[in-house]
Formats: sequence, C-alpha cells, structure tokens
Amino acid sequence: MRAKVGSRWIIAGVVLLACGGAAHAQSMLPGGIPPPPGMSLPRSAAMRFPQPVQVSALLHRDVLQPVPSQRVLGTVKSIVRNESGAVEAVVEYGGFLGFGARPIAVPIDAMVLLGRDMEIVAYSPRQLNHFPTFSAEGTMPVPSDTIIRVGLAKPSH
Amino acid sequence: MRSPFRPDDLPEKAVLDDHRPLIRGLERRGLFRGGLSLGALAILTGCDVRQPEAVQSALLSISRFNDGVQAWLFDPNKLAPTYPASRVLKPPKFNAYYNINQVRPVNGATWRLELAGLIADRRPWTVQEIDALPQTTDIIKHICVEGWSYIGEWSGVRLSTFLRRVGADTRAKYVAFHTADDYPSSIDMASALHPQTILAVRYAGETIADPFGYPLRLRTSTKLGYKNPKWITAIEVTNTYPGGYWESRGFSWFGGL
Repeated sequence: MRAKVGSRWIIAGVVLLACGGAAHAQSMLPGGIPPPPGMSLPRSAAMRFPQPVQVSALLHRDVLQPVPSQRVLGTVKSIVRNESGAVEAVVEYGGFLGFGARPIAVPIDAMVLLGRDMEIVAYSPRQLNHFPTFSAEGTMPVPSDTIIRVGLAKPSH
Repeated sequence: MRSPFRPDDLPEKAVLDDHRPLIRGLERRGLFRGGLSLGALAILTGCDVRQPEAVQSALLSISRFNDGVQAWLFDPNKLAPTYPASRVLKPPKFNAYYNINQVRPVNGATWRLELAGLIADRRPWTVQEIDALPQTTDIIKHICVEGWSYIGEWSGVRLSTFLRRVGADTRAKYVAFHTADDYPSSIDMASALHPQTILAVRYAGETIADPFGYPLRLRTSTKLGYKNPKWITAIEVTNTYPGGYWESRGFSWFGGL
C-alpha cells in the first residue's frame, strides 16, 4: 500500500514536470539568445544583424534581462571606448528602487537593441554581479552624435 | 486503461444502492465539474492539451463574429494618429515568429514581386520599378498584440495606388501576401484601400534594413503588428479566404486597431 502511494506521487510529479517542461521550452524559445559556447562576442553580435544607432539614442535606456519577466537590470549611463578600443555601455546596475546601484562596463557586443530598451544577452545577473565597478580611468567617452552598431533581438516574453 | 489512482481494495457494490440519493445529488453537480475541468485545461497553457472539436469551433465562430463586427465598425476614411519625426524610433523594433539569427536576407537584385488572382496586369515587379511609383510617408504607431508599441516612419507606394495601377479588382474581398519567411498574411479590401496602408520600401528615409523586411513590406496604421508581413514576394487579390500564419493559430483575422 505504501509503495502504491509512492507511485502515485511519482506519476503526479511526472505529469507536472511534463507541463513545466513545455512551458519552459516556450519561454526560452524567443528573445535574446546568448552567444553559442566558445564564440567571441563580436562574432555572436554579427549574427544579430547589428544596426546603426546614435549614441545619444542609447542613453537612459532601460537594460533588461532576456527572460519573460523582462527584469530591469539597470539603465545606460554612457557609452565609452576602453583601453583596447572596444565600445562598452556603462550601465547603472543593480540596487533596489534606485538605491545601491553601481556603474559597470558591459561590452556593447554583449547587448542588443529591443525597441526602446536594451538587453544584456551574453552575461547572467550572477556574472554581472562580479563585474568590477566602472572607473573612467583609461577610457574615452564616445561622443553622443557618434553612430555605432548594435545587434537585435526579438522580445523575450 | 486502469486508473493509477484506483484503490487496491474496492468497496462492496451494495454500498452504491445504500447511497443512491446521495450519488444522484453528485451527478447534478456534473455541470460544475465539467466547468472546472475546462477551466483547469485553460490554465495549463504549457501543456499540449487537445481541446474537443466542439470547443474549438465554438471559439472560432466567436472570433469570426468579432471579425465581422470589426469590419462593420471600420471607417475607410478615418486616419490613424500621426507623429512628429522627432519621435521616430531608429532603428525600429525587430519581431518575428523566430529569432534574429534565423532571418534570411532577400537579394534585391534577383527579387521580383509576383502578382496573382483578380489582377489584370500580372507582370512581376522589380525593386527599381516599385521605387519609381509615387511615394508617401506615414509616421505611425506600430502596435503589437503582445502589448508593446513604437513610432516609425515608413515610406512607399500606397497599396491602393498599386492595386489600381495593376488593374486589381477592388470589389474583391481579400488581398493576400506571400513572404520569403513563409509568413502568409491577408487583409480585407477596405483596409487595403485605406490611405495609410502602404507597401513600404524605406524606414526613416533609408532603405528598409534586412531584419525589417527588405525589399518590401506592408505597413498599415489600422491593424495590429502581426498584420504587417515583411519580405513580401507575392500579392494575390481573391474572394477565397486566404487566412494567415497567426490566424491559423487562433489569432483574430481582422486584427483591427
């Protein structure tokens, strides 16, 4: 009898997993896809049909996590060129209700345009938490009228 | 199949006779049980639940009725709001039923717009020929059924101008579109002849970029975003209901705003 009760729970669990798996598959399909393992950021950005966009149009944009809830990770504060010449977005990241946020530099090739917002597709929030706080030393601000190219994504919801 | 929840030791059958009135009472509640089951099915959207044919056809007939009401309410002369150029989002927002890396750009040099159905002159059109037609620009809002929107600036020939130019029968019911990304779509003739329905070739003054439908896409101010097919390869004028990609998956066909 005890074993019978156990098997019922297993069956119920399998049914729930089947439903949960299907829902998971649906939610993971659309949206900002991370770079395939081993692919460089510039190469993966090139797969996302990079489009010309004026730097001034990127400032103050919300930066989202590519998940169905589209959690806001921060806002774009500025666009800079780092010591090696790569373009980065300085994102006011983390915190709660505007308190406790800190600036981090995220490679522009790790991000995509999503209408009026942006998404970070190459790094998870767990990885971003370990990004050093941005220091302007050694970087050059990119003028606001400069046109740069940023990849696209479809909405994640 | 034997139920996995069936107890090992079944009660005596005589128990049923002893409680006959109570069981009848339970049966009267069958309607509620049925309602609860349907509700449960509707909640389990993640599961592949096959709905009974009757439920499906009832829902489809309601959707068709809604399409009829929308067509009746549609005013062919009423213009949608337009916006200043300063509010145009550049670049526009990408969306499709697949991811961005699966976009397959169309070669404009070999591309031809094919025409079919109730059209007098069905000669195919090149990009240059489409570009030479009288152009109009609409700064209108793209409103997606998913809930987001943005303001975009689209230029191209009015679909009404194009249809009259090729001798289309504008008394026909439908204008259908075939696309390079296998996204069939169709609209009613009244919406096709609306002045803010254009075959767009430019966005914000530039040739439409690959992910947004180069070389030709539909932009209509009076319908939801999914009624604006990109990468159009053929236009057909017909009286036979053509349906569409999302419409065959349960979306409203009229899709009006």
